[in-house]
Amino acid sequence: RFQGDQLLPYTHVLLQNLLFSFSSGTQSVTVENFLRVLTGRLPPSTPRSKRLLSDDRSNILIYLTGHGGNGFLKFQDSEEISNVELADAFEQMWQKRRYNELLFIIDTCQGSFGNLFKYNLNIYFFTLFVFQHQPDLAIGVHLMDRYTFYLLEFLEDIHPASKANMNDLFKVCPKSQCVSTPGHRTDLFQRDPASVLITDFFGSVRKVEITTETVNLTDPIKFIHTITKLHPHPDPPLLLFLLHPPSSPLLPVSPQKPKQKDWHPPDGFILGLWTLILMVFFQTYGVKHLKHIF
Amino acid sequence: MAASLTLLVIVAVTIRAALYRSSLAEPIAERVEVVSPITAWKRVIEGLALLDLGVSPYSGDVFHETPLIIYLFHFLVDYAEITFMLADVIAAVALYMAVKDFNKQVFRKQKFALEANRYPADCLELIRSPTEMHYIPLKVAMFYLLNPFTILSCVAKSTCGLNNAVLALFVLTTIKGNVLLSAIFLCLATYQSIYPLTLCAPAMLYLMQHQYIPVNPRRASFWWFVVQYLFMYLGSLFVIVCLSFFLLGSWDYLPSVYGFILSVPDLTPNIGLFWYFFAEMFEHFRLFFLCVFQINVFFYTIPLCIKLKDHPVFLMFMQLAVISIFKSYPTVGDTALYLAFLPVWSHLHRFLRNIFLVSCVLLACSALFPVLWHLWIYAGSANSNFYYAITLLFNVAQILLVSDYFYAYLRREHHLTYGLYLKKKDGSEATLVLK
Repeated sequence: RFQGDQLLPYTHVLLQNLLFSFSSGTQSVTVENFLRVLTGRLPPSTPRSKRLLSDDRSNILIYLTGHGGNGFLKFQDSEEISNVELADAFEQMWQKRRYNELLFIIDTCQGSFGNLFKYNLNIYFFTLFVFQHQPDLAIGVHLMDRYTFYLLEFLEDIHPASKANMNDLFKVCPKSQCVSTPGHRTDLFQRDPASVLITDFFGSVRKVEITTETVNLTDPIKFIHTITKLHPHPDPPLLLFLLHPPSSPLLPVSPQKPKQKDWHPPDGFILGLWTLILMVFFQTYGVKHLKHIF
Repeated sequence: MAASLTLLVIVAVTIRAALYRSSLAEPIAERVEVVSPITAWKRVIEGLALLDLGVSPYSGDVFHETPLIIYLFHFLVDYAEITFMLADVIAAVALYMAVKDFNKQVFRKQKFALEANRYPADCLELIRSPTEMHYIPLKVAMFYLLNPFTILSCVAKSTCGLNNAVLALFVLTTIKGNVLLSAIFLCLATYQSIYPLTLCAPAMLYLMQHQYIPVNPRRASFWWFVVQYLFMYLGSLFVIVCLSFFLLGSWDYLPSVYGFILSVPDLTPNIGLFWYFFAEMFEHFRLFFLCVFQINVFFYTIPLCIKLKDHPVFLMFMQLAVISIFKSYPTVGDTALYLAFLPVWSHLHRFLRNIFLVSCVLLACSALFPVLWHLWIYAGSANSNFYYAITLLFNVAQILLVSDYFYAYLRREHHLTYGLYLKKKDGSEATLVLK
């Protein structure tokens, strides 16, 4: 359960996996898989639920959290993805028309490596210098950083008809509360941030079950064992993809291969052919010829 | 006779339907002796599927049939088996009616010749009687429908069956004397594979004799008829080619169909002579040998026409045989068509010299084809030389068969003119040699 879930420190509220959660298994969250999902270069046996079936009307939200450094992000603490690779992936997606607008939130240390992107279009960047939030007394390590906490708090108030726009999102975590420097980059985006609704990216209507029950962790030894197996540090890298085609939330997007349509012979051809056949027929099978043939 | 024909048709259709339902249909459809890259049903399906995806079916080296076949099977692809069975039945019935009419004409000519006392006294045993000729049409239909080659070709859903049907209809309309329909069916057959072009000559000869135009190159009526026939033939060919252009909107079927037949790029082994030669040939000489092989098909027309001027139906038989043996991608279906004509010349049996050898070789080769294919491709203990040896032997047997019938026919004609028991000048028995 700790894979792919965010734990709020005090109330142990579980936020269910959102629409397209890729972190279904820690071993599948690798740089290669991430880039493959983004660019669509997956083996043909990949099921549809693991593909990013976006087209040029889809808005994509990419939220990366974990550890990072100057110019790179860590995946599962064993791999790195650099800003250049991400930029290339986004450029490929743009060339293949796999997104309309992209909101990229980097919730890591030194997440401002996004400033180095030069040539993508329609990408919104949110970067952040992460600072740890309150520690959780039950687990003993930091579960979440402040930005994530305030972002979650903000997002919980958003409903599908909300008119909040991007500027509100920028104001979620001011320096006084977050003790870190959030940054955003909007020069690669074609619209004015004040006119972009949050729900363009976050508005996928998805059943979220919020439970107030406490989770009884009966076996402490196994519990810690699970934690250390996952990650020595608080946040397992979490990738959330929210796909929201602007028209309707849960409609599957059209596949990339050409549509099968039945070919029909052109009408002129049919007309010409049957006219000829009839002409020949009547030329030979005039009544007086019939008795010669049969 | 109609009743027995119906019975025969029912039996043939039953056999084919039974084979369609059995598990043999799939392996037969993949045998290279039965299907060629032009006639394979798999390729027709592939072409239709490509068309449904919005791509031209002639892109890529998959589909080599004509656009009219696309049009036909666009609507009939679910009824393919019935279509091919119907094609076989149409071919058989057309051959039946053609041979019946031909027999009537043969008998009438013979009667006139008898009354004019043109036959020497001792060759009366060579004269044919209506009783012996009565069952020949039925035998022709039976030879076509129950021939294992035809059955295999039908079960494999090879478009050769359609070609055979068109050729049979051409033979029927020629023998009936209908110039326009003969030209049109020949045009359809040529449109599908180029080689029936050589059947123009026997058709023209026959129709001229039917209309009592003397076959004399010095007379104007001869050339006028030739011009008429060629105009109808080439005109309908032109119309059909243009119509095919309108079907798909492009001319790229021309290199795919005719370029493919003439330039033989696909060297899949079959029962023909082209594949082995062109597989082992240097590129430098390829064009030369291509021309040689293709001219070989068309080359026998003129000499045969000159020799068999008065016997155009036999000329048609010879021409069909030559096409089946020497075409670029022959299949057993092509062989089956001219084998169906053999009962028509059954009165020649006393002059055939190699018939035992030929029949043994043909049977043995037909049995050895799958064996050596298996040894070559699957077991790996033989190589292509083995398979080509059988191919060569099969073709040699076919050529021997055809030349044997040619010899027998000419010998009978000679006897009818000069008498059966020929004596040399000194009175001893003479032997006839075909030179």
